[in-house]
Amino acid sequence: MLFPTLEFILFFGTVLALNTLVFDRAGWRKALLLLASYGFYAAWDPRFLGLMIAVSATAYLGGLAVTRPKLRKLTIWLSLIALLGLLGFFKYFNFFALSLQQLLESAGLGRDFVWLSVILPVGISFYIFQAISYIIDVDRDVVTARKNPVDIFLYISFFPQLVAGPIVRASVFLPQIDAPTLPTPIIRAEAVVLILTGLFKKMIVANYLAVGIVDPFYALPDGQNAVTAVAAFFAYGIQIYCDFSGYSDIAIGIALLLGYRFPTNFRQPYSASSLRAFWQRWHISLSTWIRDYVYIPLGGNQGHPRRQMGVLVGTMTLAGLWHGAGWNFLLWGFFHGVGLAYERRVGAAQGWRGVVLVTLFVFALWIPFRADSFGDLLQVFGAFTRLESFAPVDISAFGLSLIAVGFAMNYLPERGLLLAQTSLARLPTIVQALVLIVGVWTCFATAQEGMAPFIYFQF
Amino acid sequence: MTPDQDRKRDTRQHWLFVLTLTLSLIAAWFFSGERFLDWVFEMPDLGPVDDMIIEFAVTAQEVKEQIGPEDYFGQTRDVLHRLLGLN
Repeated sequence: MLFPTLEFILFFGTVLALNTLVFDRAGWRKALLLLASYGFYAAWDPRFLGLMIAVSATAYLGGLAVTRPKLRKLTIWLSLIALLGLLGFFKYFNFFALSLQQLLESAGLGRDFVWLSVILPVGISFYIFQAISYIIDVDRDVVTARKNPVDIFLYISFFPQLVAGPIVRASVFLPQIDAPTLPTPIIRAEAVVLILTGLFKKMIVANYLAVGIVDPFYALPDGQNAVTAVAAFFAYGIQIYCDFSGYSDIAIGIALLLGYRFPTNFRQPYSASSLRAFWQRWHISLSTWIRDYVYIPLGGNQGHPRRQMGVLVGTMTLAGLWHGAGWNFLLWGFFHGVGLAYERRVGAAQGWRGVVLVTLFVFALWIPFRADSFGDLLQVFGAFTRLESFAPVDISAFGLSLIAVGFAMNYLPERGLLLAQTSLARLPTIVQALVLIVGVWTCFATAQEGMAPFIYFQF
Repeated sequence: MTPDQDRKRDTRQHWLFVLTLTLSLIAAWFFSGERFLDWVFEMPDLGPVDDMIIEFAVTAQEVKEQIGPEDYFGQTRDVLHRLLGLN
């Protein structure tokens, strides 16, 4: 069930009304949201509901056991092995099985090699990361272990952030489960602005760029020339930003309407003048998760400079692999790590030069991220050197204007959004609701038929 | 205002917001061609309540067709797509 669909609007409308009805009854409210979240997930694929419940149970039991000194170490190791084992199996089994088959076949063996093709459950990376952070945070005394299993099961499965984040920490979410904030006019206005901004980014900018430029370009990269390559270069950078930050905006907005506040996940990432600043602005909930649970435990910025660089590159390579098993993601993460290490050693460029350099570097690394194979990657780079081609994508003025609009969405000052929110908050409640409905109506009417899944659903 | 009164006012306003959204959704469906009915048939099987939902949607759609409202959604779509050069 995708956010920008009629199916979801009806689902959310029902949950919003029922949530308002039971808002002051904690037990009913938690039960309703848990049931709704399981329904939401089952709509993708009911077969994996059991998996999510097993992950939630592991987090719940792990959280209780880790507080006992005798069981502490064993609990951490066992839960990490179980949770990372599940993630590894679902995410990397196909890749390793295929690689093994190719290896055996190249050695003249394994012609009858048969394996099960494993389907990747939607959102598995996100809810497993939340489960891990809960157990570790209980161990670090950042959060208290919950005795009520419903609290943890709801924390893991809460539908607004279930399939593509933001990755919400238990220390942020659990206190809100006990006392959510009833939306006031300013909170409702903030939610309406976020939902409409998110829908516009996803349904208009990201989807039309995908269909008009990016997908046709990457479908036949050897038929493209330098002009279409440059257009696709910028189009994909904007598409992925609008797609993912649009999803986050909608998720944060609908959670606000239910009474819960998620952390900001994107803060003008393409305005960063250094790579370090970029990673403090892009997918913030994942960047901080990786910093707190991988980078710092591995040593962080302690020790010999060479070791520090190694930890940085290693962490970013792991972050690349988190996106999926493939050489493209490995390259993407590795070069981000190298860029960060280089920047730490020689310093970042300042001012607008820094912004241009970082944007170009980040956009260039989106190419391996998007390319379907290593062969395609080489063909894309080849397209930049060709003036003539046999099947260039027809780039429309609308497509080019969407790239400009996408950049504008990134540069949109936070003050502007705040002004829109405060102006909306001053309007009568009925008008706020009508603004939301008219905005949604306009986005749906402008969008193309059918809705492409969000890019980050595959991770 | 006391915190209790504040709370009551916020609750009342939030109900008004939810109610307006619900009524607007019904109005949106009423003026939007057959899109909601299409969705109901594409919906995953909800077991015991599935038939009830389909029956409700079909009845609502029949009532709508008898009244025969304009498809303002389709018209808005045509205008916007023409203006943006998407046709």
